[in-house]
Amino acid sequence: QGLLRRSLSHSFLSFASITGARQAIQKLTRVRVVDNSALGNTPYHRPPKCIHVYNKTGVGKVGDTILLAIKGEKKKALIVGHKMPGPTVTPRFDSNNVVLIEDNGNPTGTRIKTPIPYILRRREGEFSKVLAIARNFV
Amino acid sequence: MWRAALAGCRLLRPVSAAAGLALRPEPPPRLAGAPHGGCAAARGTGGGGAGALGAVEEQRRQAADTVFPKFNIDFVVALLRQENAKDICVIQLPPGIKYCNYFIIVSGSSTRHLHAMAHYMLKMYKHHKEESDPHTQIEGKETDDWLCIDFGSIVMHFMLPETRETYELEKLWTLGSYDDQLAQITPQSLPEDFIFGLTPNSSDHLETRT
Repeated sequence: QGLLRRSLSHSFLSFASITGARQAIQKLTRVRVVDNSALGNTPYHRPPKCIHVYNKTGVGKVGDTILLAIKGEKKKALIVGHKMPGPTVTPRFDSNNVVLIEDNGNPTGTRIKTPIPYILRRREGEFSKVLAIARNFV
Repeated sequence: MWRAALAGCRLLRPVSAAAGLALRPEPPPRLAGAPHGGCAAARGTGGGGAGALGAVEEQRRQAADTVFPKFNIDFVVALLRQENAKDICVIQLPPGIKYCNYFIIVSGSSTRHLHAMAHYMLKMYKHHKEESDPHTQIEGKETDDWLCIDFGSIVMHFMLPETRETYELEKLWTLGSYDDQLAQITPQSLPEDFIFGLTPNSSDHLETRT
C-alpha cells in the first residue's frame, strides 16, 4: 500500500500533485508516463497533456486509449490508473498513470515501474502486452 | 551466459522429481544444461530458493494447470513444435503471481509465420473447448512483430526475434524484481528535503530536484 500512497513529487518530472482534483482523465489533463520509454522520461518544460480521449464520452478510465501531447509530438497512450475513485474493489492511484503505445498497439517502453491494476485483464481490448511488461499487479 | 541459452530451440519444463531443483530440457539435443539450472534458480527467486521450487512442483501436480482437460500445456507445446516455432520458452509462474500458470514466448521467422501460428492455436482452442469456456481473441493483429493470446491460465506471445531482444520478457518474468532493465529505470531517489504529504505547487517542476 505504501507504494500507492507515496506521492510522486520527488522526481524531476513531478507536476501532477497539483490540486486534489479527483476526476478521471479528460482533455487537458496532465498525466504521468510510467514506462521507461525515452519519450516519457526525458524532461521537458511542459508536462504531457491529454488532448483527446478515444471514447464516446470524453472521460477516460483505466483501459482507455488517449492521445497525448508529449514534447511537441502526438502519441497514443493507455490509461493504467487515475486519481478518481472507481468501483470499490479496484485500486485508486495518487497520480494519473499512463503507458505510451504506438499506433499499432505495441508499447513504446519495455518496462513499467508502477503497479498495474489487474482489471485490465478482464476488459475487452488489447492489454496483454502491457501486462507482459509490467512489474507487479495490484 | 543467459544469451547462450536462447541460441537454440529451448524448452523449459519443470518435472517433479526427488530433488527440489528439478528442471530438465526436452528432447532437442542441442540444449545446454547449465543455463537451465540458472533459470530455475531465478524462477525460484520470487518464492526464495530450492524449497519453494519444490513446493511449486507439487502444486503443479495438484492444481489445475490446464485451461481445461484437453487443451493443456503439453498439447500446446506439441502444436508449436509442429508449426516449426523457434525458441519456445515456457515459463511456469509461481502461484503467488496470479496472472497465469504458464507464460509462453515463441519466435517466428516472419510476420506471416506469426499470424499463421496464432490463428492455428486459436483454431485448435476453439475446436477443443467446451461451451463454458471463455472466448479468446488474438491481440496485436495489426502489428507485424508481436501477437499474443491470453488463454486464461496460459498466455502466449508470438514475436519476431528482434522484438524479443528488445523487450526481453523472459528476463522479466523469471527474474521478477531483479531484472536489469527494471534496475536501470529507477535511479530516482527521494531528495533530502522531501517531506511526505507536502505537495509542491505547479512551478516546482521547472527546477531539477536530485
